[in-house]
Amino acid sequence: MTAAQTPGIRKIVYYQEETFLENGQEPAVPAVRATAAAVLANPWTGSGPSADLAPSSESVAPQLARVLSDRLIDGLGGAERIEAFGKAAIVGTAGEIEHGAALIHTPFFGNLVREFLEGSSILCFADDRAEAGQPLVIPMWHKTAAATRSHYQTITTRIGDGPRVDEIVIAAAASTGPRPHPRIGDRSTDPAVTSAILEGANA
Amino acid sequence: MSTPRKIYTIVEETLLEGGRPVEPAARVAVVAAVIPNPWHGQGFVEDLNPGIEETASAIGELLAPRVVEALGTTVEAYGKAAIVGLDGEIEHGSALIHTLKFGDHFRKAAYATTLLPAVEKRGPAGIVFDIPLKHITDATIRSHHQSIEVRLADAPHPGEIVIALAAAAQGRPQQRLAPLSTEQ
Repeated sequence: MTAAQTPGIRKIVYYQEETFLENGQEPAVPAVRATAAAVLANPWTGSGPSADLAPSSESVAPQLARVLSDRLIDGLGGAERIEAFGKAAIVGTAGEIEHGAALIHTPFFGNLVREFLEGSSILCFADDRAEAGQPLVIPMWHKTAAATRSHYQTITTRIGDGPRVDEIVIAAAASTGPRPHPRIGDRSTDPAVTSAILEGANA
Repeated sequence: MSTPRKIYTIVEETLLEGGRPVEPAARVAVVAAVIPNPWHGQGFVEDLNPGIEETASAIGELLAPRVVEALGTTVEAYGKAAIVGLDGEIEHGSALIHTLKFGDHFRKAAYATTLLPAVEKRGPAGIVFDIPLKHITDATIRSHHQSIEVRLADAPHPGEIVIALAAAAQGRPQQRLAPLSTEQ
């Protein structure tokens, strides 16, 4: 990996958490969660609110998808081990949230991450405009069955010196399993709940 | 040693610095474990040796191979950290990392000879800390003086300690300072 192969990317940070104990007990299915985040020059710095974002989105986003997916796959031991995923953007303060959206919310990023991580679900996401060092909580859900409640989880990513005002941080996140002790049922076990349960309750 | 609650692995690659390419990309890796503070809830413990004996070597042995593997190449600079949760003393973190029993595992894994530079700090979960790194065989090699900033979500809790090792594959990106010897 060299700068020449990834124009505009200044830094790539891989962050992984492996949980051995939660509330004092080993998870039945120990999951490893990770984020891969790249900080790159905002391709649209200085452009106006009606600038066409498509050309740079189509040239930059696929490379980000490749670079970030590769690190998640390498770090977590293969796409087949990944069960949940998500994505995120942090735009430096000279940019628009729309700039981050242009890099994560088009098929040129999302479709490729989904393909590389062997998923089929929509990727859930977070975005923000912030100063360098701002942590961002990235939501994840199951990569092929988004409503799988045991896999609703998050991971927090952060790059200490990014994004600068004219940069964007783009991140992908993945988990190899569910929350440590999932025990809140699922749609198949839920009772029918309506506002009728509030009847008679003190307001 | 008690089982760590979590182990964190961070790999930072720098591809551009000062607007110029860094080739090959500069790599720094950190591996951190969050463990129960061995002295938590015991009041002021005068003799820390039993806790050191129980924990220091084991945590060094756990972390050293992981950080070398995460870096994925020869280690040229290294450092260590102890971040104590709010209920503990800085001395508790120092006790676990400032002993040869801890550091020798990393020195052996990295083929290193120098003492490990360190940060010791007390704070809440999610505190930001910087791990200093120096060259593994000659701590005066100026090109390799560097640090890496770390933040671990959710650690350390008040009764816990984070113990971390950092490894770099090279000196600073775009390092260009004259060596110490030119000033002597």
